[in-house]
Order: sequence, then structure tokens, then C-alpha cells
Amino acid sequence: MKETLNKLLKIDRRWLFLLLTFSILIPIIKPIGISSKSISSGVQDTYNFIEKLPEGSTIILSMDYDPSTAPELHPQSAAILKHAFKKNLKVIIMTFLAGSGGLIDEHIRNIPQQYGKEYGKDYVVLPYMPNVLAALTQMSSDIYAIYDKDKDDKILKNFEMMKKIKNYKDISAVIDITGTALLDSWIVFVGDKYGVPVMGGVTAISQVGYGPYLQKKQLKGLIGGMKGAAEYERLISEPGKGTSGIDALNIAHLLVILFIIFSNIVLLILKLS
Amino acid sequence: MEFSTILGAWVAAGLTLFIFSFLYKDNPFFKAAEHLYIGAGLAWHIQLIIYKIIKVKVWEPMKVAWASGNWFTIWMIIIPTILGLSLITQFIPRISWLSRYGFTFMMGYSAGLALPAGLATDFTNQILGTIEPFANIVNLTPGQLINALILLIGSISVLFYFFFSIEHKGAVKKISNFGIYFLMIYFGASFGNTVMARFSLLYGRFDLLVRYSNAQYFYATNWIIVGLVIYFLLEKFVLNKVIAKNS
Amino acid sequence: MNLIKKHIPLAIVFVFGIMTLASYYVPHRKSENYLEWINIWQNIVAAFALFLGAISLFYAHYKKIERKVDGWGYSLFVYFGFLVIMVAAIVSDGKISDNGKITFLGWSFNNIYNPLSATMFSVLAFFIISTAYRSFRIKSFPAFLLFIAGLVLMLGNIPLGEIIWDKLFAWTNTTIADIKNWIISVPSTAGKRGIMIGIAIGAAVTSLKIIFGIERGYMGKD
Repeated sequence: MKETLNKLLKIDRRWLFLLLTFSILIPIIKPIGISSKSISSGVQDTYNFIEKLPEGSTIILSMDYDPSTAPELHPQSAAILKHAFKKNLKVIIMTFLAGSGGLIDEHIRNIPQQYGKEYGKDYVVLPYMPNVLAALTQMSSDIYAIYDKDKDDKILKNFEMMKKIKNYKDISAVIDITGTALLDSWIVFVGDKYGVPVMGGVTAISQVGYGPYLQKKQLKGLIGGMKGAAEYERLISEPGKGTSGIDALNIAHLLVILFIIFSNIVLLILKLS
Repeated sequence: MEFSTILGAWVAAGLTLFIFSFLYKDNPFFKAAEHLYIGAGLAWHIQLIIYKIIKVKVWEPMKVAWASGNWFTIWMIIIPTILGLSLITQFIPRISWLSRYGFTFMMGYSAGLALPAGLATDFTNQILGTIEPFANIVNLTPGQLINALILLIGSISVLFYFFFSIEHKGAVKKISNFGIYFLMIYFGASFGNTVMARFSLLYGRFDLLVRYSNAQYFYATNWIIVGLVIYFLLEKFVLNKVIAKNS
Repeated sequence: MNLIKKHIPLAIVFVFGIMTLASYYVPHRKSENYLEWINIWQNIVAAFALFLGAISLFYAHYKKIERKVDGWGYSLFVYFGFLVIMVAAIVSDGKISDNGKITFLGWSFNNIYNPLSATMFSVLAFFIISTAYRSFRIKSFPAFLLFIAGLVLMLGNIPLGEIIWDKLFAWTNTTIADIKNWIISVPSTAGKRGIMIGIAIGAAVTSLKIIFGIERGYMGKD
């Protein structure tokens, strides 16, 4: 008995890998189809904020993530973009992360058409900028001093929606979707310093760490991980990759919990005997 | 479907599976993909710098300024370019001290920027956030009051834990030990969410592999898995025997 | 020599440090102009910093190939990966898509860079599961707290967890989402806030040391 238990604890980890693989793969092929009922306060706050913005307001959507965190964050930015278009808001999309270009491109090839939105009139995409601090402080006085052109080297000022935009005073909200510490920079250099409402969409890993900013209202709202994306999709009634993703993660989560409990019970038995 | 899309599916599925193959054991496919990643990642960043910074912020303004004889702009581009170039002297030991000009510029700029902002956001604002609820104490519900107290006591005790200027004994030790509990809850919550984060990434990859296992992509995923399995079988039963024989 | 090797660089750090610091507090047109230019400077200098990294990486792999160390062949893939993306960038003029159509660079992003980068990070999921099984030991009260917080978050994150909770603990009149929210916004926030304030103090002190030339490790040796 003791020996078997000991063996069980030292099982070749590749069996664990295989179990995990199937626990995620099977629900992808055959979805479980139960959806979450709860909406976390951070997601609800973000939704409410955007919902209350008057039509025609301009928001900044900073998509600061690359493929390494895209499965969590791509559905979040898609949901925000859809919500903004539904509400007829103007969106300035920008990025400070080198790897995000292709991902932004994917959104703008698919989402605006669904809502009949036009480039330059309803949304623009700014080019990648490597130094975030430079751009964030700069935009407080004059956006065009640092972004004179859009991503395709067209003069930014000439676009219809940009005619009334000069600096942060003309921006109603900033939503930064990121898997890096860039949201901190938005809070520090834009939210706290210039009083622009900043909201965030972050990976589940960093979600917990933003508690202090949420409590102090330095962040007006926060979407966390795949679960946050699923919640937002539910709020705007547009189920997407967040909803199907969280569905596929059900079993895998239970697996982790079971593994922790099981291995600790086995250890306890071994100790007692 | 276009040929480039199908080819893309095969390349993407292949690279994905090559990296996953490491989970079974280290192998040449993984190593190749890993090195490819380093090179491709670097090139991705460099091309961005060239096309989005050098071209737009250095080359083009310089051309305009040169044509119009705007010496202020020309100098404002030449100076940082020289500072930037100075960094590269790192590799020439005799004049590597030149790189200090670039580094000191970056350090001075970042330190000057980080100092006031960090103090406002992460120091004063956090202290304010902790004590603010008490300013409004008469309007707090009992639940809110308890939460505000937990937040206050927790933050202070964690600070005690990180306070190394005095010896941790007696009352200080008790408070800092209490701080550990809050740290553990924070780490535990982070762990719980890390699980979701990592699994989400895996979901993203699997989702793609499932898509590429369709007929329209000519079963890219399936064929590559078969290929990898054959490789590992061959390695186990044939290659290893040959090596054993030769040695 | 000491002047140009040491004193001028230290003067640069001091001058730019103080001026940038001051610009945060001085809401004047002059300070905004200063920021405007200094930001562009920083962008340009930072771009060269990446070239620095590239050169050192290429050099390291070049040495590996030259000395034919074990597995030197793989180093060729570093150059190959680099070339593919660079050629794609040149052919596509740095554009990912052109008039809604994906360029070669966009294709390389989607099918080379994206899968490599995303898969590298997703592999960590497997190590989470093996850590959970082999190393997550609940041996003390702090470890128990860690487990409970983790458990609540994991259950609260999935629909199935909500259902399980409601089946077992409906009588408590709370949902797992409530408890999860409370953990994140109260005790965990307290823990994080303590860390945050501590780091802020440390960072402020380091910044001051850099500006005043007390901390100069980044300058290397003489």
C-alpha cells in the first residue's frame, strides 16, 4: 500500500501532461455549454462606464499584448471594440508592444465591417511606439507631436474623427488591454496625472495585483483574463472566444484542484502510517 | 482557400507541435523551433524599429529639415542619434566608455520620470486609499468598516514584514508574521488566477490545432502529429540501436 | 580624460534627471516643449539599444558556429528565422496588411512569430499541473491560506465551480463569486498594497541615487 502510494506521488509527469491535454482538448471538440452567471465588479464597472458615454465620444483602446497572451486578451479587446462601435463611439487604437501589430490587424479586418464602421471616420490605428512614457506624457499637450501619422503613414490630423482631437482633454476614456506592466504606466502618467478615466483588461495573472488601484479608483474598471472576457461578452450579448474558452477550461481547473487535494491526502496517509 | 493560407496553417501547426514535442522529451524539432523563435522574435522587433522609428522619426524629418535648412530640427535628430550610436561602442573595449553618454541619458531621463510619478501613484495614493474610508466613517456599513480595517491592518503589517531596518522580534515579529498571512492570500489568489491564465494560452493553441486538423487545411495537424510519432518511434527502436551498436 | 569619461556622463544624468523631474511639476509651455523633444530623443536612443542586443546575440551564435560547439547547427536557425522575417518586412515595406489584404510580413507574423511565441508561453500550463500535483504541499497555516485563496479563485473562475459551490453551499447564502471578489478586493489588496508601497519607496530612493550620481553601476568599470 505504502509503496503504491509512494509510486503514485512520483508518477511520470508526462501522464499528467496527457491528462491536461485531454481535459482541454475534448471540451474544444465537444463544448460542455454551461455559462457563468456571475459578473465581477471590475467588468461591470468597465461596461457601465462605456455604456454611459455619450454618442460620438472618443476613447483610446491601447492593445498592448502579443501572441504570448493573446488567447486571454484578444477576446477582451474584441468585446470592448464591439461595445464601443455599438454605442457609436470613436476609437483610437494604439500599441506600445512590438508583437501586437498582427493582432490589431486581425480585429480591424473583421470587427468594424460588422458594425458598418469606416476607417478614419469611426476609428484610427496609430503606429507602434517603443517608448511608452514618451508617448503618454506627450499626448497630454499634443497628440500629433508624437503621432503625426497613422499606421499606414497617412497624416493623422487629416482624418475626420481626429479633427476635434488635440490632447487628453478630448478623450473620454482609456482602456488598456495588456499582458505587461503598461497599464501601470497609463494609470501613473495619464489617469493620476491628467485625470483621464483609465480602465484595464489584463491577464488573469496580473488581475489580482491591480486590487489597490481599483480600491483607490485610480482604475475605473478591470477585465481579468478569459473569465473577464467571457463576462464582458455576456454583457454585450456577443458570445465569442472568451465564452467558448472558459467553457473549455472547466475540467482542467477541477483537475488542478483534485491534484492538489489528492496528493496532499496521499502525503497525509503516508505520514500517518 | 488560397495556397498561402494552407501553407500558413501547415507552418503554424508544425511550429506549434514542434514546441509541444518537448513535453515528451527534448528533440531536434523542438530545438530548431526554439532557435527559430529567437531569430524571428528579434527580427520582428528590429523591423519595427527600422520602419516605425528610424524611417518615420529620423530619416523623413531629417530629409525635410535638410531641404528647408531647419538646423534646429537637424540637431535635435543628430544628437540622440549620436547618443544612440554611442551605445554600440560597448563592443569596442578601447572606446566603450563612450557608451556611457547614451546610458547616462537614458538613466537620467527614466529616473527623472519615474520618481515623481511612482511616489504619487504607488505611495501617497495608496496610503490615501487605505485611510480615506475612515474619513467617511459615519456612513460606512459595519461590513465596509470591517473591510476598511482589514485593509489598514493588512497593509501595515505587510510593510512591517518588509521593514528590515529594525530587528524582527517581540511585537514587531508578531506584526510582521501577521503580514505573512496577507501576503499568502495575495499569492494564493495570484496562483489561482495564474492557473486560468496559463490554461487560457493552452486553449488558444489547442483551438488553433483543432481548426487546422480540418479537411480544408488538408489535415495539417493530424499529419504532423503522425510524423512526430514516427520520428519518436524510429528514434526509440532504430536510431538508438544503431548508436548502441556503433559504440 | 576623467572629465569626458566620468564627469560629463554624470553631469548628463544629473541634468536630464532634474529637468525631467521638474517637468512633471511645472505646467509651463517650456517644460512641455522640453518633454516633447526629450521624448523623441529617448525613442531614438532606445531604438539603438535594441540593436545593441541584436549584435550581442548574433555574436554569441556566430561564436557557437565558428567553434562548432555541441548543437551549433541549431544556431543557424537563429539566423534563418531572422532572415525570413527581415526579408518579409522589406518585401512588404514594413506593413502587415495592405488595403485589407495580408502581406508577406503579416503572413510571417500569423504563421511563424505568433505560433512560436504563443506556444512557448502556453507550455507553462503543463508545468502548472505537475507543480500542483508534486509540489503544492499544505504543511503550515500560511500554506493553507495560500491554498484556500487559490481554491476560491479557481472555483470562482469557471462556471462548473459556481455550480458545484451552489450545490454544496447554497445554504450559506453567498456565491463563490462574492467570496472571490472579497478576497481580491480586501485581504489580497492589503497584501499587494504593502508590497507596492515598499517598492515605491525603494524605487524613489534608487532614482534619487541615480540622479545624484551615487548609484553608477550601470556605467561599468573604468
